[in-house]
Amino acid sequence: MRRVEHVMGFPVSLRIDDEGDFGAAADEVFAWLRRVDARFSPFKSGSEVSRYGRGELAEDELSADLREVLGLCERYRSATGGAFDVRLAGRGLDPCAVVKGWSVQRAAGLLAAAGARRFCLNAGGDVVVSGGPWRVGIRHPEQADRVCSVLAVTDAAVATSGRYERGDHILDGRTGRPATGLLSLTVVAPTLTEADTTATAAFALGADGPAWAAARPGCEVFAVDTARRVLRTPGLPVA
Amino acid sequence: MKRAIPVFVLTVAGLIPVWRYHPSAGTVETAQPASTPPPVPSGTASAPSASSSAASSKVVPGTAVSTTKGVFQVEVTFRGDRIASVRMLQAPHHPQTRWAVPELIAETLTAQSAHIDTVSGATITSQGYRESLQAALDAKGS
Repeated sequence: MRRVEHVMGFPVSLRIDDEGDFGAAADEVFAWLRRVDARFSPFKSGSEVSRYGRGELAEDELSADLREVLGLCERYRSATGGAFDVRLAGRGLDPCAVVKGWSVQRAAGLLAAAGARRFCLNAGGDVVVSGGPWRVGIRHPEQADRVCSVLAVTDAAVATSGRYERGDHILDGRTGRPATGLLSLTVVAPTLTEADTTATAAFALGADGPAWAAARPGCEVFAVDTARRVLRTPGLPVA
Repeated sequence: MKRAIPVFVLTVAGLIPVWRYHPSAGTVETAQPASTPPPVPSGTASAPSASSSAASSKVVPGTAVSTTKGVFQVEVTFRGDRIASVRMLQAPHHPQTRWAVPELIAETLTAQSAHIDTVSGATITSQGYRESLQAALDAKGS
């Protein structure tokens, strides 16, 4: 079965290749993502994130989920020397970079719990697959209808950060300025929580990003720098 | 100089974990010009403050320190009373203390249109989706 719905402002494509009826499981996936959007969006003034950002909620009043997300944010902030920061000066708390990967990985967990074994969940370009190998193309950073590499991915996640879709939305927390040095950076990791956050944090690091991401345990990297050169780890599962 | 000795020891002790765990961008093959300084994690080396920049600089080699992994020696540049920079003069070639250098292969960027199941890319907006490769894959079905 296949289904596409738009949640959090991006398209979410679900494909399940198992036999059987997974309609209810798919419903549950999209309902969960919509719930996450309502609770964690910094663009909704009534969300838990917005209320915490404005100081209306104390730390001990936060949900276990938000505490988990904020813990992840802090871990990546310190691992990047401040380049990855969800509390930038002049901006409210914006944990989107962590929430996306974390919530889609949870959604994959819902599918697995419902008995799905062979599925591919793509949330606006970030991918979790179960079973495999799935052929995952990496979008060419300058040609929207082309890929620049194809990966064979089994039971893993792939996330890409770049500025070609939404412009300079990733800032280097060390300078507060848009991250430069890379056109795109893709990470393959055991979970999308790790892949997405590592890709975003590495992109914020700029030219230092590929080496930093490559040093993270379990992460394989494919990066394109502004000189249009590819830097990739030897373990990248190229198809 | 007597007062400086504990400083060297502390500096060496402080540098070892950095040296062991911080992947230096400067050591990545062809990742960038060799002149790019490796990023220094905050709090490990005192940056010279604006007020001390006018003070005279003094470069002092530290004493060699033996550890279970081998001998370390640093060189410290003082600006006034502050440590402006620290450089490694001697470090052992021990597998556990080598730079955590991740290997990166440099390749040429290519554009292809191969058979794929899905596309990973920078977060696409719902508007951008309409013209995307993923939309075409979703529409095609299996």
